[in-house]
Amino acid sequence: MLTEQIVNGIVMGSLYALIAQGYTLVFGVLDKLNFAHGEIFMFGGYVAVASVAMGASIPLALLLALLACGALGLAVELVSFRKFRSHDAHITAALSSFAFGLVLLDLVQKAWGTEPVAIELPHALRIASVEFLGVRFSVVKLAILVVALVLMFALHLAIARTRLGRSIRAVAESATSAALYGINVTRVIQIVFLLASAMAGVAGAALAIRTGFAANEVGFTLGLKALAIMAIGGMGDLRGAFLGGLLIGVFEALAFQWGFGQIADTGVWLFMIFVLLVRPTGLFAARASKEARA
Amino acid sequence: MAEPSFLDVQDLHVSYGPIKAVRGVSLQVAEGEAVAIVGANGAGKSTLLRALCNLLPRASGKVMFAGRSTAGVPTHLLAGREGMLLVPEDRAVLRSLTVLENLRLSHDTRPAGRSFAAANEEVFAHFPRLRTRAGQAAGNLSGGEQQMLTLARALVSPPRILLLDEPSLGLSPRLVREVYAILRDFRARGMTILLVEQNVRTALRFAHRAYVLRQGTIVQHGSGEALLADDGLFRQYLGVH
Repeated sequence: MLTEQIVNGIVMGSLYALIAQGYTLVFGVLDKLNFAHGEIFMFGGYVAVASVAMGASIPLALLLALLACGALGLAVELVSFRKFRSHDAHITAALSSFAFGLVLLDLVQKAWGTEPVAIELPHALRIASVEFLGVRFSVVKLAILVVALVLMFALHLAIARTRLGRSIRAVAESATSAALYGINVTRVIQIVFLLASAMAGVAGAALAIRTGFAANEVGFTLGLKALAIMAIGGMGDLRGAFLGGLLIGVFEALAFQWGFGQIADTGVWLFMIFVLLVRPTGLFAARASKEARA
Repeated sequence: MAEPSFLDVQDLHVSYGPIKAVRGVSLQVAEGEAVAIVGANGAGKSTLLRALCNLLPRASGKVMFAGRSTAGVPTHLLAGREGMLLVPEDRAVLRSLTVLENLRLSHDTRPAGRSFAAANEEVFAHFPRLRTRAGQAAGNLSGGEQQMLTLARALVSPPRILLLDEPSLGLSPRLVREVYAILRDFRARGMTILLVEQNVRTALRFAHRAYVLRQGTIVQHGSGEALLADDGLFRQYLGVH
């Protein structure tokens, strides 16, 4: 049914947006891409699997994924970005973070194997649904949508209204000026990685809960797709990542609905190439990113 | 002058790779004093100020501020905790943040014991134009308004020393007069000020004392008035007549 598919697309799109906002947050502040981000998102799913297997509730599993992946974000900042903050170290930081992600992927494969690992959800929860305007919606999917939207709204408020948000925007504009305002630039960058990775962790856990299993290839497949979404929405622009995520989520869902599922992935990448050609700033970015201006 | 060496710089050397931009500079600023460093373009004035804030590494030498060495203290702590406010040549206002957010950030990192609202009232009383621009991005301000904003930051969160790099650069004569009127007000309040200027006569009229910097070295110093009266100085070191 079309409405149900659109809702499915919005749910998946909200997860894409959560991951893409992490990419864009780091890019906006450091002007660099964190290639470990996709694998950190993947790891969130395994944290959820392990937590639920040990008896944790779903909310607790999400919280643990948030904390564990946030901690990984701090680690990747320390290892792959702290020493490579200068503008001419883009490739070094990209390679180092890419390697960090591969190490994480390898460790997950060593611990859980290469096959997807099922998450043991109560049957009642799995089939729980509510009816609205004659359409039946899965409670799990709606809960995931609510969690994703609440997290993104909280991030938006934090960036727009709080002292931390002002500091993040200051560092994004100029680390030197921010330091002259008394802002601890290193601390702000750490917090940005913590937030970005924590959101990716929640997205990974939510995906595992939604699909019923954690899979180690999602870092490459969905993680990289979120990177494309960041570019489509506008690099460094949180609103662009949000709208881009929803757009791609719904596009994919409709492609499946109308029998074009097999070309949905290719369509996303082609769309990214097209957007970068005709509008390098992305579809929704209010202003050109440093990269697009170059 | 209560404290003879509030800022005490001893034999400071700063290099950019192979270029020695500052060579053995020693200078002192007393608490409440206004001191100018004048010199021709490329004399090393801006480098000196940036090195004082640890934005540039020093090759050797010692900098004591309020009796403590600043060696190894990160720039943000010098700016926030220690109250060393540098306004660089490009003014470095945060262009994407609003005027109010720029002021608020200064207050965030150095609240100086009063509420932001109270501090802001004082700012807007001094700079009524900033009140009308409060919600606009600082990048949309004119050069003069941006300079006003940097000076307003010093009112929101009074520094223990204000370091100014070419405060008159790029401003019309009328705006230069306005900026120096505000600086005279700061001086009258007892704010310690160290400024570097190419606009030599304006700086010497303003400062209690001044140092003349040439090719990274102090070649002369004295009271602002005495240096102003020294025609030979202008011809020999500053290239102006």
